[in-house]
Amino acid sequence: MIEPKRVLRALAEHWALLEPLCERFDGGTLSLGELRQQLAAQQLDSTPQDITSLLDVWIRLDILVPVAKSPNRFELNAQIHDFLAYLRREHRLGLCLEIEAYLRHLERLAGHIQDAFEIRDGNDLARQLRLLDMRVRDVLKKLDNDEQALVAVAERAKTSDRQIPLRQRYAEVLATWDEYVEPMIQLVNADGAFEQGVRKVETVLLRLLGEQARLGHLVDDDMLLRTHARILEMQTSAQLTLRKARELLLPLREEARRHNAVTRGAALALSVIRRKGLDAVPQAAMPLFTRPQSTFLGNASQVEAYVYALARFEPKPAQFPKAHKSHKGEPQRAPRTVKEMLQRCENALPLPDLMVWLLEQEPEGATDELLYWFSRLSREKRFARARLDRRDYLTREHQVSLRSFALTSSREPSPETTASPVHAS
Amino acid sequence: MHLDLSELSQLAPIFRELFKGFHISRRDPELYAQLSNFQDQYRGLFRALGYELVCDTRGFYYFVPEQAAAQVNKTAQRLSLFTFILVEHLADQGRDPMAVLDGGSLGRDELPSLLEKYRDLFIQAEVQTPDELEEKIMRRMTQLGFASEDNGIYRFLPPMHRFLDVCLSVQQDRDLAASLHSALPLPTPVLIEEEDPQELNKTDDPLDLSPFDESEEDALARAIADEQQEIDA
Repeated sequence: MIEPKRVLRALAEHWALLEPLCERFDGGTLSLGELRQQLAAQQLDSTPQDITSLLDVWIRLDILVPVAKSPNRFELNAQIHDFLAYLRREHRLGLCLEIEAYLRHLERLAGHIQDAFEIRDGNDLARQLRLLDMRVRDVLKKLDNDEQALVAVAERAKTSDRQIPLRQRYAEVLATWDEYVEPMIQLVNADGAFEQGVRKVETVLLRLLGEQARLGHLVDDDMLLRTHARILEMQTSAQLTLRKARELLLPLREEARRHNAVTRGAALALSVIRRKGLDAVPQAAMPLFTRPQSTFLGNASQVEAYVYALARFEPKPAQFPKAHKSHKGEPQRAPRTVKEMLQRCENALPLPDLMVWLLEQEPEGATDELLYWFSRLSREKRFARARLDRRDYLTREHQVSLRSFALTSSREPSPETTASPVHAS
Repeated sequence: MHLDLSELSQLAPIFRELFKGFHISRRDPELYAQLSNFQDQYRGLFRALGYELVCDTRGFYYFVPEQAAAQVNKTAQRLSLFTFILVEHLADQGRDPMAVLDGGSLGRDELPSLLEKYRDLFIQAEVQTPDELEEKIMRRMTQLGFASEDNGIYRFLPPMHRFLDVCLSVQQDRDLAASLHSALPLPTPVLIEEEDPQELNKTDDPLDLSPFDESEEDALARAIADEQQEIDA
């Protein structure tokens, strides 16, 4: 028989060494070598003999026990481990089945109480009532422990590395939901085992109170009332634990489910697109949004000319070049692309006057084309622009009056940046 | 509803951005705060002007185009495709797609390998080079307020939920899943055309041996009419 005081004294004395070991033991058993290494790391000035004697004390006090069939591996004595877990507020989630088993036992105890009362056995009645009371305390303790454990599950999921896949990160949440919360919902349901058990015990206790008043007291009424109050407390506590579990885990579970659905949806859409093309994705699912409107530079007559040209459109036969014929006359220059112009402009930065630069680049360019490039390049985000004074510019055909821009790279600080629209006349 | 325009101090920039198709989120704190504080007033005003302002509880605002003008454009298809690809790519790498697309970021340097891996799909969206991927997809995303770009890092903003919703609705689409497992083309509605009784008698099949129910006069008149038609043509 180990003296409890010695165990408690050893726990208190070696708490600094035991507490970190608890975490290791939470993850499994430790070999003698690992244990020695762990203790040596914590006690740098200790000799191997000190560690041996320390381990010897723990083994003699039953704090450490050898693992069955592996005498060189050790674990914390389960009772001590639970006690230390309680002290460290490290709660392990129990099983819903345990609560159900306790409830079945409560129902049986209610039966025994009824029997004891019927045969007017006062001692047995008091004993059964005490047992009932202690069992209810067990359930309450368990519910409280489970609630703390659920908080820890949610915290672990929320604080774990964001880089690991959500499914992996929330694996514990999903398992807890399936193995604890879901059965608890069934259990605490109006027609579940919990409610039935509580109702049965409550009926017996209330009937007992009435009968005692009629037939005379076998036990103190206070004892019955206290047990009854504790049963109601247990019922409320179960409902609160369940509510808390739902509040904590449901959003995380939904997040994980949504994540799975998104990944699955994306994979499904891609396989449909691979097999049947981009248009196969249901149009109804696609988001609709207004197309970005560009600020269109053009005067009324340009728009009129454009519409007129559209209305009077006549297709012309396309003249494809022939491989065997050499091109006569001046080779036709391909139109400039936006990318090409942007590149050229970027290479020429900083530009003291965009319009002057354009006229140098495209001396033969048509006025509307030059104005288009002026509008396009001055609005480019890569460039910072500073408004210049109004002046006249001569194109091949026209005299244009406008306020040009000086362009610099947008990465460099510019004297004045403006987003006001271009005005040309 | 009483509207005090002096309260709507950001009306002009808000309208300008929304009208361009931009999604306003917390990335634009001033505009977002105005919309949040005077949500009903803005919604009422825009509705009166014929614009439907959508206030998504996940933290963004946008205009929904009129149904008459609403059609899925190439941009929507491209951006959806990009989202599908990115979700699958991240999941393949063991990264969390939701963490990236819901407020996370993606480096510009990751784009070329993404393009290489999904070249067959990007081609369908007319995207073949990294430049095109940046121009047609990433730039569009920033223009529409789905992402922001800073020093070669694209940060995804709350409006991305619109594309994540597409993934969800595709996932829920049982017909689509079923069609994937069959070799048949996607179901299209079949309309029954009413046939003209006259047409029933016509036959162009030279091997059709069924007797003509036509008198000699009728046959002659038909031949003359056909010939006349050819001359006219």
